[in-house]
Amino acid sequence: MSPDDTDAKGWQPEVDELAFRRAQADALGGAAAVAKHQAQGRLTIRERIAGLVDAGSFQEVGRLTGQGKYQGGKLVGVTPAPYVMGLASIDGRAVAVGGEDFTVRGGTSWSGDRKKGGQGGFVEDLAHHYRIPLVNLIDGAGGSVTSINRRGHAVFPGVHGFERSVQLLGEVPVVCAVMGAAAGGPAGRAILSHWSVMVKDTSHVFAAGPPVVERSLSQKVTKEALGGPGVAVDTAGTIENVAQSEAQCFDMIRRFLSFLPQNVWQLPPVVDVGDPADRVEQELLTIVPRNRRKAYDMRRLIRLVADRGSEFEIQPTYGKALITCLARMNGRVVGFIGNNPLVYGGAMDVRAARKQTHFIELCDCFHIPIVFLVDVPGFMVGLDAEAAATLREGMRSVYVGLQATVPIFTVVIRKCYGMAGMGSTDKNGLDLKLAWPSAEWGSLPIEGGVAAAFRREIESAPDPLAREAEIEAQLRAMASPFRTAEAFGVEEIIDPRETRAYLCRFIEAAQARLATGLGPKAKYGVRP
Amino acid sequence: MATLEVKSEVTGSVWKIAARPGQVLAAGTTIMILESMKMEIPVILEDGGTLSALHVAEGESVTEGQIIATLTE
Repeated sequence: MSPDDTDAKGWQPEVDELAFRRAQADALGGAAAVAKHQAQGRLTIRERIAGLVDAGSFQEVGRLTGQGKYQGGKLVGVTPAPYVMGLASIDGRAVAVGGEDFTVRGGTSWSGDRKKGGQGGFVEDLAHHYRIPLVNLIDGAGGSVTSINRRGHAVFPGVHGFERSVQLLGEVPVVCAVMGAAAGGPAGRAILSHWSVMVKDTSHVFAAGPPVVERSLSQKVTKEALGGPGVAVDTAGTIENVAQSEAQCFDMIRRFLSFLPQNVWQLPPVVDVGDPADRVEQELLTIVPRNRRKAYDMRRLIRLVADRGSEFEIQPTYGKALITCLARMNGRVVGFIGNNPLVYGGAMDVRAARKQTHFIELCDCFHIPIVFLVDVPGFMVGLDAEAAATLREGMRSVYVGLQATVPIFTVVIRKCYGMAGMGSTDKNGLDLKLAWPSAEWGSLPIEGGVAAAFRREIESAPDPLAREAEIEAQLRAMASPFRTAEAFGVEEIIDPRETRAYLCRFIEAAQARLATGLGPKAKYGVRP
Repeated sequence: MATLEVKSEVTGSVWKIAARPGQVLAAGTTIMILESMKMEIPVILEDGGTLSALHVAEGESVTEGQIIATLTE
């Protein structure tokens, strides 16, 4: 073969090798490992990315990474690195996306020159430098003791630290989906997100799985009982939402991202669904029962007020005394926080407080105005509540609310009492408070306060019960919301049917302020 | 036949019972009303079924998460 013949072929041999290496990457951990993984009802990482992003939009980065196998200096195969990632788009908007490949050594960490995923991985740098959302599809147990063998030494914790993961939380939307078993680093990584989700039956999350728990505490516990959604989502609130399937999980991720801007230097996208801002719902006139002991459906109230079908509830099964959802009002993204009278009369317990704290921070970070729909009798009372630190978590929520700089709108539906009530207002801003005619407020509900404040007078009356009822009636008459409106202590009493129009008008008016307050939010002070 | 457990979402007491064992009930039915934080809290079925047992009586205390009724689908 003359030198000219070689030139005629150009770099074809290398391009052939490239095709072979790419095929090896696409084969993941091999047919047997892939079949075993799929038999457990799980998709492979490549199927997951394809299921999540716009068709054909995935631009992989690092497809050739892995461990080459050579015979006599000739390449015979490549075991790919157990992480697949790159650039893609979701509903036409750029994202960085990546996830562990469980079919290669169970998705345990891999030591190349540069980390691909997880904390400190390239996929995080991609999101940081291009200021685009990050989606982590987590399916791995993190470090393995076998790495000591490979390296010849034990790695100090934090060589691949969480510093970039933390930085991202102030810059771009971060979504973590737990798709399989996540323990150790990947489990920790899942928490460092703006929103997290896991899949029913096939995903579990814990600091350490059943074998470690049994060795440490002699507790025998199943994977599902230790880290299934019953614990991680409903009880602990470690992960925010549950999907019924991997396909539904991808739908939920796309939906969550549809409410968020690409980064904190932008405003969330406006989507007009053709729902008129002045739509009137007759049902709102009667939704709150006149009998104060009777509860009503706050979720339904939110559905009637928000743009039709636009609500996406965050943490629906945790802290059920409070409802938090992203939604739209006349096309603009807002965060609704509504007390739920069907659970503890809407009293703020420790879980509701944590949920409110997180949701306020989420909205504030991405310049999403907050609408409080208030029906809160106060912080939860009782021994359990005190032991659970309700007071501290409740005040933390008040503190975070006072640090928020997004416009906050308050609509008092019924009860607005005490510190929890105060935490539902915009003390740093306009402090616009609209109230329904069913509204009532004060430092504590009248029925609880009368017996204590007028004890001597009631006890010395000929008919104590009648006297107590009489005092209650007198005070209640003066507690009419109209009297507070006379004093401009609330800015407006509205017909409940006017709620949507009022809110849309004020949210529109707040846009100039939102547009001039972009960028990262400074944090200072010590949270209680 | 799947068994469904109905759990109390709140700590409080049973105020009124509104269903009998053996009844076939649709999703959305209120089977009892609890009292908590001075409010009437209806227990509404998320799924329908035959009410196989009530585990509480009127006036009894309940704790959050307690199984208060069982249904079979």
